[in-house]
Amino acid sequence: MTERRIDDQLVIYGRTFTSRLLLGTSRYESPSLLENAIRAADPAMLTVSLRRQVAGFSPDSGQSFWNLLRETQRTILPNTAGCLSPHEAIKTACMARELFQTNLIKLEVIGDEVSLQPDPFGLVEAANQLVRLGFQVLPYCTEDWILCRRLMDVGCQVLMPWAAPIGTGQGPRNARALRELRERASNIPLIVDAGIGLPSHACQVMEWGFDGVLLNTAVSRADDPVRMAGAFASAIKAGHSAFVAGPMVVQETAVPSTPEIGRPFATDYSTPLATAN
Amino acid sequence: MFVIVNGETRPLPEPPTLTALLISLSPKTPFAVAYNEEFVSRGDYDSCRISSGDRIDIVHPTAGG
Repeated sequence: MTERRIDDQLVIYGRTFTSRLLLGTSRYESPSLLENAIRAADPAMLTVSLRRQVAGFSPDSGQSFWNLLRETQRTILPNTAGCLSPHEAIKTACMARELFQTNLIKLEVIGDEVSLQPDPFGLVEAANQLVRLGFQVLPYCTEDWILCRRLMDVGCQVLMPWAAPIGTGQGPRNARALRELRERASNIPLIVDAGIGLPSHACQVMEWGFDGVLLNTAVSRADDPVRMAGAFASAIKAGHSAFVAGPMVVQETAVPSTPEIGRPFATDYSTPLATAN
Repeated sequence: MFVIVNGETRPLPEPPTLTALLISLSPKTPFAVAYNEEFVSRGDYDSCRISSGDRIDIVHPTAGG
């Protein structure tokens, strides 16, 4: 049985968080929707990125976006989204460190532009170099145990396996492998990142003992992102509480909830029914 | 004599340093810079000499997942 961590705080590279939700900041209809969603989600961290400045006013980039981020007073987690090689990812991480003044980096090295599946080889190489450069790496990875072990070997203290491809909202595609990963990697924080679509998906992985959930599109593209942000926050709390509480063991056959002893009008069904004459 | 900034052609500044280029462009803060696809830290802007055809990327915070 997975060891049950009963503390109510998420610890990431020595930083403690009361929330177990990490929220992406992309694809909101307006800055005010993002701001209100952040308030409703009460996330531990906000993921951000960096891009060339576009001409004209852009609500989700540049100075206005920067000011919004600062006002939330949340921990910022920059990503290396879109990087297709370790070199690109390392360069992007270095720029992000200077821009956001943090050693934290959500490491993405994409191996396939259709599925946006991580490149396991490039991911380990990039993580290895980034750890040596003093980064605190949160790698976006798959649930593959060997990959996860390699990432831990090079110094990653958190892993972020996907539930399903980015932006699909399909929920956990490979439940058995995710649960096995949780069992094997019992001493490292595991945050399910990508592919979560519903609060029930988030609740489920938390019930399995995962330490947190990172999501973006499931909130930002909901009809009501603010309400959905609150729904996810509640689901993640519920799932974690259920894990800590320890679910009952599933039974093969029915077990009466109400005591049998002393039941009035008791009939003994273990003996054959009397034949009517 | 030109440099390519975020994919657009710009005149090479005088003196031809990254600092001079940034003064002429005045990008909104905060930003970070890559020179020929390599990161240049803020402390190295003065010593980074640029030549015609070099590529400069100036990036800003943006939303991300």
